[in-house]
Amino acid sequence: MKKIIFTAIFVCLSTLSMAQAKKPTLMVVPSDVWCNLNNYMSEFDNQGVTEKYPNYDLALQSDPDLLLVVSKIGEMMAERGFPLKDLASTLKSLKQQTAEESVTSSKSGDMIAESPLDQLNKIAKADIIIQMTWSINKTGPKKSITFNLQGLDAYTNKQIAASSGTGAPSFASEIPVLLEESVLSHIDQFNSQLQGHFDDLFTNGREVSLLCKRWSGSDMDFESEVGDDELGVLIEDWVADNTVKGRFSTSEYSENKLSFDQVRIPLYNESGRAIDTRRWANGLRKYLKKEYQIEAKLSTKGLGKAIITLGEK
Amino acid sequence: MKKLLLIALIAIIPAIAGAGTDKRKTKKANKETTEWRYELEAQATGQQGTKVIKVWSYSKKPSVARNQAPKNAIHGIIFKGAPGIREQRIAPVLALVKNPKMAEEKADFFTAFFADGGDFMKYVSVTDVANDVVKLDRKTYKVGVTVTVQYDALRKALEQEGVVRSLGSGF
Repeated sequence: MKKIIFTAIFVCLSTLSMAQAKKPTLMVVPSDVWCNLNNYMSEFDNQGVTEKYPNYDLALQSDPDLLLVVSKIGEMMAERGFPLKDLASTLKSLKQQTAEESVTSSKSGDMIAESPLDQLNKIAKADIIIQMTWSINKTGPKKSITFNLQGLDAYTNKQIAASSGTGAPSFASEIPVLLEESVLSHIDQFNSQLQGHFDDLFTNGREVSLLCKRWSGSDMDFESEVGDDELGVLIEDWVADNTVKGRFSTSEYSENKLSFDQVRIPLYNESGRAIDTRRWANGLRKYLKKEYQIEAKLSTKGLGKAIITLGEK
Repeated sequence: MKKLLLIALIAIIPAIAGAGTDKRKTKKANKETTEWRYELEAQATGQQGTKVIKVWSYSKKPSVARNQAPKNAIHGIIFKGAPGIREQRIAPVLALVKNPKMAEEKADFFTAFFADGGDFMKYVSVTDVANDVVKLDRKTYKVGVTVTVQYDALRKALEQEGVVRSLGSGF
């Protein structure tokens, strides 16, 4: 009897744990426009062209108003059960990781393996970026704040939630007070749209993108005849069969590249287990290997983008 | 002795009748709440977790309309939302429930919640009972009362009851 109860509890618990979709991470960052307006930009020489990029470190170390807004948004999102990834801590931990890796070696003197891709991916990232911009308006002695909050899906690059507007002008209130008021008056609208996005995600699946490429040494391309059709068409068919309501769009189709956007993948597989883009695209990799003996390398960018490269691992 | 009894009766009857009339008016006001006969307008961004709104309620007696204001405020915040004021740059307050059928689906919960002296009282406090009384016709008054709603606490309570989905639910 005890065994039966124990087994039942175990099954229930494992079903519950499997039924949870992967939670996207959210991070608040100041927008490029705000960084530029407040001179928190760094420059680098890109083959003779000077380019600017936002220096979040400098902004976080120098601007108390920025810290206030970031922490206020974080506080309110945590209250809604969605704690944010902290930009400052992420930047710090990235620096520490780089420093540690540079001095770590094995007993035989080997360094930590890191491909150029790993180095490129070492940036502060999250699945949804909450980008904010504000500017202070002055009309005589009156001050007001124009506030803009945008939720950007980091991999589809779509704006999934937003709230913006200008607050009531004030003679007496200090800027931090006006900023706090702006956050308070915009966060509900923002969260409501974010909720709409999540609801859509549960109904129509997670929107991701899939990119298929080939190594230059590969003797297969996407126009090669495999079985009874072109390899590209077969991949397209697999995508159609494995998306929610067959939803996706082919944005690029050439002999070297296949690109699928607005691919709606299910949140769970047939056994009720939560899947992400990597797991889903791994199905395509396995399909190519099993059905057509084509070796492919699978890589991902966070939760939202899978890249399959044909030819070898 | 008879005279005394008669005087006592004469004194008591109007009081009883008055109480009965008030009860009827409150009942009517409750009915009007469920029939959306009230108006809300956002007044200001309150302290964190709160919303300051003005409620306009209708009744034959201004006192009944005033007493009904907290209930109307909570009812409105849950189902209707409150429009902002563009000229004063006041942001609107969004309704907590987006599913229009939720009132029917959770009828038992809402009946208990909105009963006189029910749980809705936990989430509202009257901030200002200014003399905003408009006589619309011979029998109807429109009364404006400013209230503060504990918006976040109310949302959490509704999340616990399964009326509202939390942002992180499903993950």
